[in-house]
Amino acid sequence: MRLINTLRKHKVPYLFILPFFILFSIFQLYPIVWTVWVSLTKWNGIKQPVFIGLNNYNLLLNDYMFTDAFFNTVVYWVTGVIFIIILSLGIASLLNYNNLKGKGFFKVVTFLPNVSAAIAIGIIFSMLFDKNIGIINEVISLFGINKIGWLTTVKYSKIPVIILNIWRNTPWFTLIILSGLLNIPEEYYEAARIDGANKIQQFFKITLPNLTDILFFCFIILTVNSWKIFNESYILKGPSTSNMSLFQYMYQSGFTAFKMGYASAIGVVLIIILAIVSVVQFILMRKNSEI
Amino acid sequence: MKKFFSLLLVCSILLSSFVIVFSNVNTVASASSNKYPEGTIEIYGYGQPQYFLKYYRPWLERNRDIAPKVSIDIVQTEGAADVREKLTMSYVAGAYDDLPDAFYIDPVNLVNLADGGLVQDVTDFVSSLTDKLVDNAANDATINGSIYALPESVRPQMLYYNQKIFNEYNIDPERMNTIEGYIEVGRELKEKSNGKVYLSYIDPGSRTWRYYGRRGLMPQAKAKIWDDNGYPIIDTDPGARLAFEALDTMYSEGLLLKTAIFQPALYDAVNNGEIATFYIGAFWDEFLRKNCTETLGDWRVMPAPVFKSINLRGAPVSQYIAIVDKPNAVYSGLIKKMWYDFTFDIEHKEKWVRSMVRLDAPYANPISVEMLKDEFWEEPSIFYGGQSFRKMEKIALRNGAPNLVVTAQDAEADIIISNELEKYVAGVQTIDEAIKAMGENLRNKIGKVEVIK
Amino acid sequence: MGYIKARKGNIIVYILLGVITFISLFPIIWMCIIAFKGTGESISGFNSLWINNPTLKNFKNVFEVIPILSSLYNSIFTTVMGTITTLFFCSLAGYGFAKYQFPGRDFLFYFIVATLLVPPEVGSIPLFIIMRRLHLINSLWSVIIPKAATAIGIFYMRQYIINIPTEVIESARIDGSSEFGIYLKIIVPMIKPALATWTLLTVIARWNDFFWPLIFLRSTVKHTLMVSISLLPVSDGLSTPWPVIMAGTTFAIIPVVVVYIFLQRFLKSGISAGAVKG
Repeated sequence: MRLINTLRKHKVPYLFILPFFILFSIFQLYPIVWTVWVSLTKWNGIKQPVFIGLNNYNLLLNDYMFTDAFFNTVVYWVTGVIFIIILSLGIASLLNYNNLKGKGFFKVVTFLPNVSAAIAIGIIFSMLFDKNIGIINEVISLFGINKIGWLTTVKYSKIPVIILNIWRNTPWFTLIILSGLLNIPEEYYEAARIDGANKIQQFFKITLPNLTDILFFCFIILTVNSWKIFNESYILKGPSTSNMSLFQYMYQSGFTAFKMGYASAIGVVLIIILAIVSVVQFILMRKNSEI
Repeated sequence: MKKFFSLLLVCSILLSSFVIVFSNVNTVASASSNKYPEGTIEIYGYGQPQYFLKYYRPWLERNRDIAPKVSIDIVQTEGAADVREKLTMSYVAGAYDDLPDAFYIDPVNLVNLADGGLVQDVTDFVSSLTDKLVDNAANDATINGSIYALPESVRPQMLYYNQKIFNEYNIDPERMNTIEGYIEVGRELKEKSNGKVYLSYIDPGSRTWRYYGRRGLMPQAKAKIWDDNGYPIIDTDPGARLAFEALDTMYSEGLLLKTAIFQPALYDAVNNGEIATFYIGAFWDEFLRKNCTETLGDWRVMPAPVFKSINLRGAPVSQYIAIVDKPNAVYSGLIKKMWYDFTFDIEHKEKWVRSMVRLDAPYANPISVEMLKDEFWEEPSIFYGGQSFRKMEKIALRNGAPNLVVTAQDAEADIIISNELEKYVAGVQTIDEAIKAMGENLRNKIGKVEVIK
Repeated sequence: MGYIKARKGNIIVYILLGVITFISLFPIIWMCIIAFKGTGESISGFNSLWINNPTLKNFKNVFEVIPILSSLYNSIFTTVMGTITTLFFCSLAGYGFAKYQFPGRDFLFYFIVATLLVPPEVGSIPLFIIMRRLHLINSLWSVIIPKAATAIGIFYMRQYIINIPTEVIESARIDGSSEFGIYLKIIVPMIKPALATWTLLTVIARWNDFFWPLIFLRSTVKHTLMVSISLLPVSDGLSTPWPVIMAGTTFAIIPVVVVYIFLQRFLKSGISAGAVKG
């Protein structure tokens, strides 16, 4: 009764936020609960699923493809976080340069990579990085370096994926960080100049501390996106499992090998990893600020 | 609250009108007899299905007496596995009306779909025609004694060679009659050209297993992935060793240019005269014609070379069209009829093939014995310097090796085997290590398979 | 002295930005160049950088290989409808969270933020079954409805709306406006920059969406541009020449680039809005 009263009293805000929760339960929550159940079965999608308990998870532990995919994804995550944050911080600072002419132009063109479809750009990158006729190797050989099998060797095949990931995603974070830079009052810098601080000192004493929240936000989004990485490594496929991502392995297990239970188990592992990240996020966020 | 109820009302009206519309469609469909009801035949395809439409659409026009208002659409997918995925998803969801009427498929994926009861048993229809078809046309669609799909094409493994290169270095292509001779020729080409000319290519990805392995050297070496009880023996089987060692000899001696197939780099190498031969299926014809126009007239074809000790030509690759076994499969009769004419109607088939040639589009030799006798299938081909490609395709089917036994787990086995082969091509393990790892991983990840045949 | 120093700094900034611009644009321009190359022209190495026989034939060929007009229509439809619904539901919920007091508000908001971390792709098989029960398979709505209210959109809108002075809303309420009326007549006009920004980001995301259309849209006439484009080169037996593929990807990239250049003029301070302040 109290519940109904509360609902009636606050009818308007509840109605306003209701659509999200309806869509979430139908299209996200229910499928995921279902996935957890499928992960406990052996199922090829056509015949009846057979309950096998935690067997799929046991198999995962001994599957070198899974561990390969796991560590590849860790590499994409770490490189993505480091390079994208540093680069977008740098580019945003350049775009924020005081007497820069053509600021609008530079802002537009540096954002274009993010506008371009990953599918299309992936195809283009696979040509740029071709060992025999790719333009990247052509440039390298101008400097007397031997042609590198970017997509044909185990050693290098992650590099094109990392570069594509950085190339496409840096602009988005540049935009976010630039907005943060614009919000730092100019007086702070003036005061620092009067105190005799040089540009580098200004950056570490004023810019960075004022961007902590935004950088933290970037870190979280980058983490989630990195663990879900699919398109980049799917199109720029290297030999064997050398650059396969975790999500890609899930897709392959489910839709190429038709091991739905096994694929679901990989999905559940992904959810657990991201859940851990989210718990850490909440702890840090509570400490840091008031959202 | 009023607003809410009016919204609810609108929704229910919409919903009920939907129901009415749909039930109407059904009554119309069942009302007419003899003639096929109005609608669209939907087929899942891969490769370049749009060219099949250039046969099927006019066919429907010619058959308006039985199918006055039927149209046809082929949904392009990424490949056979993608077809299987789409079918499986719809089937799981109980979405029978979302299932297509038919689909193109390869033997590996057909096994699972037939096993799961998704496709119509066409044994009676096809077995009455077997005499009229080329040998073993329906073999790979026969599961536990029943036929589950209509054979669309049966194409041999062939050897393509660039006659100009062989003239230049004065080498007799006839020496490539055996795999052993083929490798010898490769060595000689490398030596005489100072390493400019490669015998062939090797793909860094999964296509090496597909074209050199499953469809090529493996069946020709009488290799086995599974023993008769369904246990993996790829690492101990002498045939498999023969096949892998032939590949290893060519690759480790630098006779194969490492570059992805179907990519411009390979076509460039062909156009520059750096690739002397291709040991691959007949489908490669269309890719050469389309992408290597500079080598017009230079190429010739011959049947795939044999292993001296085995003496079998290349295994044929079949493609099938399977009819979906769903409630109310109204067009299954029409699809059979369409397939029948595509297979046996000489006049229209030839007309279609001629238009394909003009478009540099793909087509395969017919599977009807009667039709193959027609001189049309021995016409000279300009691209092959006057040699008849179609005639050679016919000849290359003779003395073909049987294909590898296909099981329900072969789609997964392909991934496991290919992974090890890719690592070998990438240079991180030797062929011995690769073979050993294949066996181990098949045992660990799959174990025993059900041998369906 | 100071003047020269500033100019030196300027030059370095321009050089760096020039390099970044080049890296950002190169793949896109390179794609356009190849799209205009005649068949048989070499596209290896530096040869790919100029065109000997420019031709429009590749674009014509794209029309023959994939049903580009229907794909284009489907992409535009899903992008436009997807953007409109997302803008409406996200701003509405964002407003609810920002300007109302109600029990469980903070918990529910944290909950929404937490859902950001669960990739819906994980449950794609069951999701297909649900779509089927809702009769949405092969319907363009299947890629619009699930994303009509997204966690990140609500988060963004809430952060923006929270900065709007509450007095404006109070005085409208005293004037007798209905709650929805306040949203429509007071809030929407005030959050135009945020709406513009979110329009841009949603248009880009919807247009480039690949995974879901691939799974839910099953007949050729329902394919979106991304699905059609992805089928250009990867098919088993497909021998589409690279210039034609590049012509296809040009179709996929250029429209949204044009939309972006057009829309970004309305942005100004949009993205800077308190959006990500926390």
